[in-house]
Amino acid sequence: MIAIAFLLAQSAVEPSMVARGQTVFAQNCSVGYCHGVGGAAGRGPRLRGRNLPKDYLDRVTHEGIPSSAMPAWKGRLSDADIRAVVEYVSMLSAATDAPPPMMPMPAGEGPATARSFNGPPEAGRGFALFFDPTRDHCGVCHSMGGRGVAIAPDLAETVSKSQADAIALIRSTGARKVVRVKLNDGESFAALRGSETKDTVKLYDLTSAPPVLRTLERSEVESIADDPSWRHDDFVQAYTAAELSDIVSYLRWAAVGK
Amino acid sequence: MRRWFLRFGFRGLSAIAILACGTFARAEDGATGDDWPSYGGRDSAWRYSALQQINRSNVRHLKTQWVFQTGKIDGGLNATPVVVGGVMYLSSSWNRVFAIDAVTGNEIWHYFYPNPREIGIGYSPWNRGVAVSGGRVFFGTLDNSVVALDQKTGRELWRVNVEDMRQCGCNITGAPLVVKDKVIVGVTGGDSAHRGYLTAFDVKTGRKAWRFWTIPGPGDKGFETWEGNSWKQGGGSTWMTGSYDPELNLVYWGVGNPAADFYGGDRKGANLYTDSLIALDPDTGKLKWYYQEIPHDVWDFDAAFECILFDATVKGVKRKLLLNVNKGGYTFVVDRVTGEFVSAYPVAENITWIKGVDAKGNLVGRNEPPVGQPTLMCPSIGGGHQWNHSSYSPQTGMLYTTGIEWCQQVTVRPEEPREGFNYFSGVFQLKPPMHGEPGGHLDAYDPVTGKKFWSYRAKYPLLASQLSTAGDLVFTGDPEGNFLAFDARHGEKLWSFQTGSGHRGSPISYAVNGKQYIATPSGWGSSLAGLLPQLWPETEDFPLGSSLFVFALPEEK
Repeated sequence: MIAIAFLLAQSAVEPSMVARGQTVFAQNCSVGYCHGVGGAAGRGPRLRGRNLPKDYLDRVTHEGIPSSAMPAWKGRLSDADIRAVVEYVSMLSAATDAPPPMMPMPAGEGPATARSFNGPPEAGRGFALFFDPTRDHCGVCHSMGGRGVAIAPDLAETVSKSQADAIALIRSTGARKVVRVKLNDGESFAALRGSETKDTVKLYDLTSAPPVLRTLERSEVESIADDPSWRHDDFVQAYTAAELSDIVSYLRWAAVGK
Repeated sequence: MRRWFLRFGFRGLSAIAILACGTFARAEDGATGDDWPSYGGRDSAWRYSALQQINRSNVRHLKTQWVFQTGKIDGGLNATPVVVGGVMYLSSSWNRVFAIDAVTGNEIWHYFYPNPREIGIGYSPWNRGVAVSGGRVFFGTLDNSVVALDQKTGRELWRVNVEDMRQCGCNITGAPLVVKDKVIVGVTGGDSAHRGYLTAFDVKTGRKAWRFWTIPGPGDKGFETWEGNSWKQGGGSTWMTGSYDPELNLVYWGVGNPAADFYGGDRKGANLYTDSLIALDPDTGKLKWYYQEIPHDVWDFDAAFECILFDATVKGVKRKLLLNVNKGGYTFVVDRVTGEFVSAYPVAENITWIKGVDAKGNLVGRNEPPVGQPTLMCPSIGGGHQWNHSSYSPQTGMLYTTGIEWCQQVTVRPEEPREGFNYFSGVFQLKPPMHGEPGGHLDAYDPVTGKKFWSYRAKYPLLASQLSTAGDLVFTGDPEGNFLAFDARHGEKLWSFQTGSGHRGSPISYAVNGKQYIATPSGWGSSLAGLLPQLWPETEDFPLGSSLFVFALPEEK
């Protein structure tokens, strides 16, 4: 703390901003196995004494480091909190001493909170249902807002319709793109087509959730044909009518912002 | 050199075990032979090889046969290789799987799963192993998929995304366990706002066969052990690999800590089935019994490590037992038929989170960290014991396992759960132990009573698994890169070999054409490796690596 106070005195940064940065760092960066108290290192690299340039810290904090455990904090923390934590890490990075002992952290200080869902309440409920991890949910086949697994058709068409028509469409067979695959060993299943090569064909097996991407040799496959018998409603039945209405509200909000 | 008999007959070995130590254990339950067919050796997780060509008298002659480089050192090499029919199957960081000629070290095929670039990694880049069965090789990926490969060619057969990792903050680093026609896979996420589970998939099609939620939902028994909505983000990950008893037809798995790790005020109650051993019917995923080691954990002390299945005589009665070393530094032994508590004993000396465990298995003298105030707690979050696996030898009747002496200051800080984020509710700083020097030790115990037969002290925590063999040897490695062999009965260090990078993986033994091999991963890395500099600054510069070393005795001239 002495070192931080000294550095603080030498800089033009608002003390309250650094204090906020320390709070944000404690909850998001030193937490668990990551950068450690005072930036002392953990699973994440040491930050203390590294003399990392502030523009680098700013970029990495915003964008993260692709293909690593360092997430992009843009959108997860407020812009003000990101600025505060970058200031704080910049100071840690300039520190030359060992991390100071931990100080008490009053419970009333207030944790940093992420941006919460800011749509209307019915869309919020629909969002939670669409991605409800405690059951087989829409997101295991459909992607929305950069989340979920994008193997099934996107839902733009659905959201251009009225609420009632959208629900009817979701309840209908929706089987235009679903095929029935028959294998030489007698197995048969409904699937969505994936990529193909000269020797292999990839298919998303829709028998159960989550769908399975199967790679089959062409010699294993007897036939692949349209499957008008497949029913999307078999999966939709897990949701009540009220829940479906909320889900459509979410889709419409996510797609067109209303 | 005369060609040694590779193995005793199983009956002979069993008889020797009975005579030698009074415990009985049928070697066919858990000893490996030429193959090392599954993650824990066999599905009882002994990590014991019945091969004895390499033994106490000749181990000093071991020579390197070949070295295999995985090419990605990020995260080190944390895996256990599997060997079937002279082919080794090895996984490494960043979703890499290799099939290697176990005699020459030449690659037969490799499979690199390209992690979607836009998806980071929730927990870590490493992978601890594969399962091989029925012509297929199974493993889990960093983006939370399960993949089946053709055992001969490495061609992908099926792949299923278990849960969107951007949402769950979880992935798969543990090796799957194949039981009959199902491949059972755990998940990380115990330190995230996530509800844990264990999932079984059909080996042929990849279709989900069942899921066991480690946190009961509304209407399920045990749901009442959670407060409010805490069950939805209560952790309970299944990040290691379970065991299987074919006679009882039960699969056993250890469940990790509840989330938030350090603050339990939002999840009042026992928090089932976190920090529990669970026994499931592998055909249905239905719970047969559970044993909770730590009700309402506020220290991040998982019960997630391996379940060693062995039989022994307890107070004159033959018992089928399950042994699990808890991260908090206590070993728990339970009856694996019923889940009844049998015994518990410490494997670390510096333990302050409890005063002890009573004769019925209840924790005594809980020491819960207060909110806001830095508090010294031992062991550290790194554990009095880490995930690196223990070994059980039916020949010596001993358990070989490791303990770590270190403490931490922890400051609890309640926070809101955020989907896909860490959910620790606190920070910690490693501190030296209250008694003695910080460091690690390898110890040999009576597995039931905890009586210690010998101990080897090390400067740094020992973070590699143990392998014991019928040659009366115990192998493990240290963070400085030394691969070590000990006399299994007396603990004398008999041999060491510097592999150039620290050990965080699991050694194995196998044989091809009558020749016994010892294989060990070498490659420093992992969360723990990252934490060590807080107590031992010099370890920050320890070289990373990711290679597999294989040793054997010199050929007869």
